Amino acid sequence: MKTRILELRKAKGMTQQELADKVGASRQTINALEQGRYNPSLVLACRIARTLGKEHVEDVFDVE
Amino acid sequence: MIGKPAWFARRKYSGWGLTPATWEGWAYIILMVLPLAFFQAMPYWTPQVRLAVTGVWALLLLVDVIDIMLRLRMDEREKLHEAIAERNAAWYMVVVLAIGLGYDMMMNAATEKIYVNPFIAAALFGAVLVKAATNIYLDKKN
Repeated sequence: MKTRILELRKAKGMTQQELADKVGASRQTINALEQGRYNPSLVLACRIARTLGKEHVEDVFDVE
Repeated sequence: MIGKPAWFARRKYSGWGLTPATWEGWAYIILMVLPLAFFQAMPYWTPQVRLAVTGVWALLLLVDVIDIMLRLRMDEREKLHEAIAERNAAWYMVVVLAIGLGYDMMMNAATEKIYVNPFIAAALFGAVLVKAATNIYLDKKN
Protein backbone atom coordinates (compact mmCIF):
# COMPACT_ATOMS: atom_id res chain seq x y z
CA MET A 1 0.00 0.00 0.00
CA LYS A 2 1.33 3.44 -0.96
CA THR A 3 0.83 6.26 1.52
CA ARG A 4 1.32 10.02 1.60
CA ILE A 5 1.83 10.06 5.37
CA LEU A 6 5.47 11.23 5.21
CA GLU A 7 4.70 14.07 2.80
CA LEU A 8 1.60 15.25 4.70
CA ARG A 9 3.25 14.90 8.12
CA LYS A 10 6.25 17.01 7.03
CA ALA A 11 3.92 19.60 5.52
CA LYS A 12 2.27 19.88 8.95
CA GLY A 13 5.68 20.08 10.66
CA MET A 14 5.00 17.05 12.82
CA THR A 15 7.45 14.42 14.01
CA GLN A 16 6.66 10.70 13.82
CA GLN A 17 6.28 10.66 17.62
CA GLU A 18 3.82 13.57 17.59
CA LEU A 19 1.67 11.89 14.94
CA ALA A 20 1.91 8.58 16.82
CA ASP A 21 0.74 10.20 20.06
CA LYS A 22 -2.21 11.89 18.31
CA VAL A 23 -3.49 8.70 16.65
CA GLY A 24 -2.74 6.34 19.55
CA ALA A 25 -0.01 4.32 17.85
CA SER A 26 3.70 3.80 18.44
CA ARG A 27 6.42 5.70 16.57
CA GLN A 28 7.57 2.39 15.08
CA THR A 29 4.09 1.83 13.62
CA ILE A 30 4.10 5.27 11.98
CA ASN A 31 7.54 4.50 10.53
CA ALA A 32 6.31 1.12 9.20
CA LEU A 33 3.29 2.85 7.63
CA GLU A 34 5.45 5.51 5.97
CA GLN A 35 7.70 2.80 4.54
CA GLY A 36 4.66 0.91 3.24
CA ARG A 37 5.52 -2.13 5.36
CA TYR A 38 2.24 -2.27 7.30
CA ASN A 39 -1.42 -2.06 6.28
CA PRO A 40 -3.42 -0.27 8.99
CA SER A 41 -6.93 -1.04 10.21
CA LEU A 42 -9.72 1.19 8.94
CA VAL A 43 -9.94 2.90 12.33
CA LEU A 44 -6.23 3.79 12.38
CA ALA A 45 -6.32 4.87 8.72
CA CYS A 46 -9.26 7.23 9.45
CA ARG A 47 -7.51 8.67 12.52
CA ILE A 48 -4.33 9.31 10.54
CA ALA A 49 -6.24 10.92 7.65
CA ARG A 50 -8.12 13.24 10.01
CA THR A 51 -5.00 14.15 11.97
CA LEU A 52 -3.24 15.03 8.71
CA GLY A 53 -6.15 17.27 7.72
CA LYS A 54 -7.72 14.99 5.11
CA GLU A 55 -11.39 14.08 5.06
CA HIS A 56 -11.05 10.89 3.05
CA VAL A 57 -8.80 7.90 3.71
CA GLU A 58 -8.07 7.71 -0.03
CA ASP A 59 -6.33 11.09 0.20
CA VAL A 60 -3.64 9.47 2.36
CA PHE A 61 -3.65 5.79 1.44
CA ASP A 62 -3.57 4.32 -2.04
CA VAL A 63 -4.44 0.63 -2.39
CA GLU A 64 -2.45 -0.59 -5.38
CA MET B 1 -0.30 -0.16 42.23
CA ILE B 2 3.45 0.62 42.62
CA GLY B 3 5.04 0.49 39.17
CA LYS B 4 3.84 2.46 36.15
CA PRO B 5 3.46 0.98 32.62
CA ALA B 6 5.31 3.98 31.13
CA TRP B 7 8.50 2.78 32.86
CA PHE B 8 8.54 -0.56 31.03
CA ALA B 9 8.31 -2.19 27.62
CA ARG B 10 7.07 -5.68 26.86
CA ARG B 11 9.95 -8.13 26.59
CA LYS B 12 10.21 -9.16 22.93
CA TYR B 13 13.60 -10.74 22.28
CA SER B 14 14.42 -12.55 25.52
CA GLY B 15 11.34 -14.37 26.75
CA TRP B 16 8.23 -13.04 28.43
CA GLY B 17 7.54 -10.28 30.93
CA LEU B 18 8.76 -6.72 31.21
CA THR B 19 12.00 -4.91 30.52
CA PRO B 20 12.84 -1.44 31.89
CA ALA B 21 12.46 1.34 29.31
CA THR B 22 13.30 4.31 31.55
CA TRP B 23 15.50 5.00 34.58
CA GLU B 24 12.37 4.72 36.74
CA GLY B 25 12.00 1.15 35.48
CA TRP B 26 15.57 0.31 36.50
CA ALA B 27 15.01 1.98 39.89
CA TYR B 28 11.84 -0.09 40.35
CA ILE B 29 13.74 -3.32 39.58
CA ILE B 30 16.49 -2.44 42.07
CA LEU B 31 14.10 -1.30 44.81
CA MET B 32 11.77 -4.28 44.41
CA VAL B 33 14.28 -7.09 43.80
CA LEU B 34 17.13 -6.03 46.10
CA PRO B 35 15.05 -6.48 49.30
CA LEU B 36 14.66 -10.19 48.41
CA ALA B 37 18.45 -10.60 48.79
CA PHE B 38 18.47 -8.29 51.83
CA PHE B 39 15.89 -10.47 53.63
CA GLN B 40 18.18 -13.51 53.26
CA ALA B 41 20.99 -11.65 55.04
CA MET B 42 18.97 -10.58 58.09
CA PRO B 43 20.92 -12.18 60.97
CA TYR B 44 18.25 -12.32 63.69
CA TRP B 45 15.34 -13.64 61.65
CA THR B 46 14.26 -17.25 62.08
CA PRO B 47 13.94 -19.31 58.86
CA GLN B 48 10.14 -19.17 59.22
CA VAL B 49 10.10 -15.35 59.43
CA ARG B 50 12.54 -15.10 56.52
CA LEU B 51 10.41 -17.42 54.40
CA ALA B 52 7.19 -15.56 55.27
CA VAL B 53 8.62 -12.08 54.57
CA THR B 54 10.27 -13.26 51.33
CA GLY B 55 7.03 -14.95 50.23
CA VAL B 56 4.87 -11.88 50.90
CA TRP B 57 7.36 -9.58 49.11
CA ALA B 58 7.63 -11.95 46.12
CA LEU B 59 3.83 -12.16 45.90
CA LEU B 60 3.57 -8.35 46.01
CA LEU B 61 6.16 -8.12 43.22
CA LEU B 62 4.34 -10.74 41.11
CA VAL B 63 0.93 -9.04 41.50
CA ASP B 64 2.44 -5.63 40.68
CA VAL B 65 4.23 -6.95 37.55
CA ILE B 66 0.98 -8.60 36.35
CA ASP B 67 -0.86 -5.31 36.99
CA ILE B 68 1.75 -3.37 34.96
CA MET B 69 1.56 -5.90 32.10
CA LEU B 70 -2.24 -5.66 31.97
CA ARG B 71 -2.07 -1.85 31.84
CA LEU B 72 0.74 -1.73 29.26
CA ARG B 73 -0.81 -0.38 26.05
CA MET B 74 -0.02 -1.73 22.61
CA ASP B 75 -1.19 -0.45 19.26
CA GLU B 76 -2.70 -2.74 16.60
CA ARG B 77 0.62 -3.52 14.88
CA GLU B 78 2.29 -4.42 18.17
CA LYS B 79 -0.68 -6.64 19.12
CA LEU B 80 -0.46 -8.40 15.75
CA HIS B 81 3.27 -8.97 16.12
CA GLU B 82 2.87 -10.29 19.65
CA ALA B 83 0.03 -12.62 18.62
CA ILE B 84 2.11 -14.12 15.78
CA ALA B 85 5.20 -14.49 18.01
CA GLU B 86 3.14 -16.13 20.79
CA ARG B 87 1.51 -18.49 18.28
CA ASN B 88 4.90 -19.56 16.93
CA ALA B 89 6.23 -20.08 20.47
CA ALA B 90 3.10 -22.09 21.37
CA TRP B 91 3.49 -24.29 18.30
CA TYR B 92 7.13 -24.97 19.14
CA MET B 93 6.16 -25.96 22.70
CA VAL B 94 3.32 -28.21 21.47
CA VAL B 95 5.64 -30.05 19.06
CA VAL B 96 8.32 -30.57 21.75
CA LEU B 97 5.72 -31.73 24.32
CA ALA B 98 4.15 -34.13 21.82
CA ILE B 99 7.60 -35.56 20.97
CA GLY B 100 8.30 -35.89 24.71
CA LEU B 101 5.00 -37.67 25.27
CA GLY B 102 5.69 -40.06 22.39
CA TYR B 103 9.23 -40.71 23.61
CA ASP B 104 7.98 -41.45 27.14
CA MET B 105 5.34 -43.85 25.84
CA MET B 106 7.84 -45.67 23.61
CA MET B 107 10.34 -46.05 26.44
CA ASN B 108 7.64 -47.32 28.79
CA ALA B 109 6.23 -49.68 26.17
CA ALA B 110 9.63 -51.38 26.10
CA THR B 111 9.18 -52.21 29.78
CA GLU B 112 5.50 -53.13 29.20
CA LYS B 113 4.22 -50.31 31.39
CA ILE B 114 1.66 -47.75 30.30
CA TYR B 115 2.62 -44.40 31.74
CA VAL B 116 1.78 -40.92 30.54
CA ASN B 117 3.50 -37.99 32.22
CA PRO B 118 0.56 -36.11 33.78
CA PHE B 119 2.19 -32.70 33.42
CA ILE B 120 2.83 -33.12 29.69
CA ALA B 121 -0.69 -34.50 29.18
CA ALA B 122 -2.20 -31.64 31.22
CA ALA B 123 -0.21 -29.06 29.23
CA LEU B 124 -1.39 -30.45 25.88
CA PHE B 125 -5.01 -31.05 26.96
CA GLY B 126 -5.15 -27.67 28.72
CA ALA B 127 -3.83 -25.94 25.61
CA VAL B 128 -6.63 -27.53 23.54
CA LEU B 129 -9.21 -26.20 26.04
CA VAL B 130 -7.65 -22.71 26.15
CA LYS B 131 -7.60 -22.53 22.36
CA ALA B 132 -11.26 -23.63 22.12
CA ALA B 133 -12.36 -21.17 24.84
CA THR B 134 -10.47 -18.33 23.13
CA ASN B 135 -12.07 -19.10 19.76
CA ILE B 136 -15.57 -19.30 21.29
CA TYR B 137 -15.02 -15.93 23.01
CA LEU B 138 -13.64 -14.29 19.86
CA ASP B 139 -16.42 -15.71 17.63
CA LYS B 140 -19.02 -14.13 19.94
CA LYS B 141 -17.12 -10.86 20.32
CA ASN B 142 -16.51 -10.08 16.65
